[in-house]
Amino acid sequence: MEEKNIKVLVTDDEDDFRLLMSFWLQSKGYQVIAASNGEEAIKLIQSESPDIVFMDLNMPVMDGAETIKKVREFNKDIPIILISAYLDDVKVKDATSHGIAGVFFKGKDFSQGLSLLETVLRKHKNLQK
Amino acid sequence: MSEAAILVVVIVLGSGVALGLVYFASLSGHTNLKGGKNKIVRDFAGSDTLKQAIASQIVSAVDSEKACLRLSEAVTDIVGKELEKRLTQNSQELSQKYETIIKEKTHNEEIAWRKYQKVAEDKKETEAVIHSIAEGLVVVDSHGKVIMMNPAAEKLLGVSKKDKLGQQITDNMKDEQLVSLIRKHPGKEGREIELATHADETKKTLRASTAVIENEEGKTVGMVSVLSDITKQKELDQMKSGFVANVSHELRTPLVAMEKSIALILNKDAGPLTQTQEQFLSIAHRNLERLSGLINDLLNLSKFEAGKVELKKSPVAIDKVIIESIEGIQNWAKARGVLVITKIEASLPEITVDANRIIQVLTNLISNAIKFTPQGGTITVEAKLFDAQSMLISVADTGIGIAKENLSKLFEKFYQVGERVATDISGTGIGLSIVKEIVELHRGRIWAESEKGQGAKFTFTLPV
Repeated sequence: MEEKNIKVLVTDDEDDFRLLMSFWLQSKGYQVIAASNGEEAIKLIQSESPDIVFMDLNMPVMDGAETIKKVREFNKDIPIILISAYLDDVKVKDATSHGIAGVFFKGKDFSQGLSLLETVLRKHKNLQK
Repeated sequence: MSEAAILVVVIVLGSGVALGLVYFASLSGHTNLKGGKNKIVRDFAGSDTLKQAIASQIVSAVDSEKACLRLSEAVTDIVGKELEKRLTQNSQELSQKYETIIKEKTHNEEIAWRKYQKVAEDKKETEAVIHSIAEGLVVVDSHGKVIMMNPAAEKLLGVSKKDKLGQQITDNMKDEQLVSLIRKHPGKEGREIELATHADETKKTLRASTAVIENEEGKTVGMVSVLSDITKQKELDQMKSGFVANVSHELRTPLVAMEKSIALILNKDAGPLTQTQEQFLSIAHRNLERLSGLINDLLNLSKFEAGKVELKKSPVAIDKVIIESIEGIQNWAKARGVLVITKIEASLPEITVDANRIIQVLTNLISNAIKFTPQGGTITVEAKLFDAQSMLISVADTGIGIAKENLSKLFEKFYQVGERVATDISGTGIGLSIVKEIVELHRGRIWAESEKGQGAKFTFTLPV
């Protein structure tokens, strides 16, 4: 397993899913930090400066769309991939207006999430160049 | 009196009758009666040849002037009587005719009056019914002017009939829904639209079924809208769909966690596995996928049945949709040794559809085809124009086919084809009924053609 110098923040209120996703990403060589709600995520983005964020849409306290809006107030640049349980979630549109890099649906294979992550990172790198 | 005298009398009498007839003829005609008669008499009397002929006949028959006079008196008397008799008869006939006409007229008037009263009563009855039904009723003429409105409609729309009769229904009404009530041209079957009104400060949901009123010549003369308050029903629906969404989330969350855990282990990310462990975990994984598929299908169907599915239509190229559908299941087809090929007509126009839903349709049809096609078989996905209004898209396989008698049952809910060729053929029997719902939501049609052992072909149309 090759180590990648990339830090990924996984935000999801479902403990099992968060753990599984973190484990999967770690097994693919990413450094992973995790948050279980929007507030935690904001703190971690500020203190840990992750390279990319996975953000669940439906969360208590502060949902994904709200969190992304808050993040954009201090960080316009960081790529955020939305996690949604449903293909037809109406909230996705809401979140998209605050700038997201993509949507990963929970029902799909992690491998799809991984290729989405790689694509987003590649694009982001090119943009920064 | 001699024979000659009798002959003369007959001639004279005949002339008198002829004169009378001429008189009647002139009477029944529209000529000036008096002038007409006098003229005829004058003409008759003035006819010298006739006078001379009669006179000579009389002279030859009667020898004295006296007898001649008597005879002429007698003749005049007879003629006069005959004339009078005819005149009286005629005037009686006329007055009888007149009486009959009067009678008939009076009778007709009576009938008309009775009919009018019946209509008036019917109208009152109809009005009473319209007045007392719970549904709102609004009738507008072809210019959109209100010609009828019942109290329920007044209450539902929060308007007064007095202000609306003879006016455009949309006048002084800011609710754009009401405009849609008039402007949206309903189909023959009448379309339902939902309106929200703020009449008594609570939000109401109304359903309006609008139908065109046509006269005998088929010309549109107005529209009738029946309004019903479905606020309660709507609230219940929302509660139900909220419940369904909640249940769906609760069902999916643990399934996703289980499925992902097993996938991680199977992928050997959590360390090596023995062959037996891998085999059993594969069984667990496959059945979990089946369970999620089943739950998704059921939820999908309940959404369709509740009319909750809204199409997100946008113009797309059908070849892209087909290619995307195939990409999703290409690996599975390869693993089963089935070839999927496309036959897409060149320069097809773009169609306005919900691409994700059409992909769902194609994925379902292609998956079915893969399931029922033995190794080495071919699946052909074809798209071509049918006519100026529609496109034909079909999925044909070289599989086991479907018995003719079962073709019509295919799209029924929970129907499954009895025989299966491989152990991994499974399903809920819902897939094709969802496919049908999606196609029909797009105003298309779907059907299947097959014969046992001859492969199957599913074709659907989409409007261009």
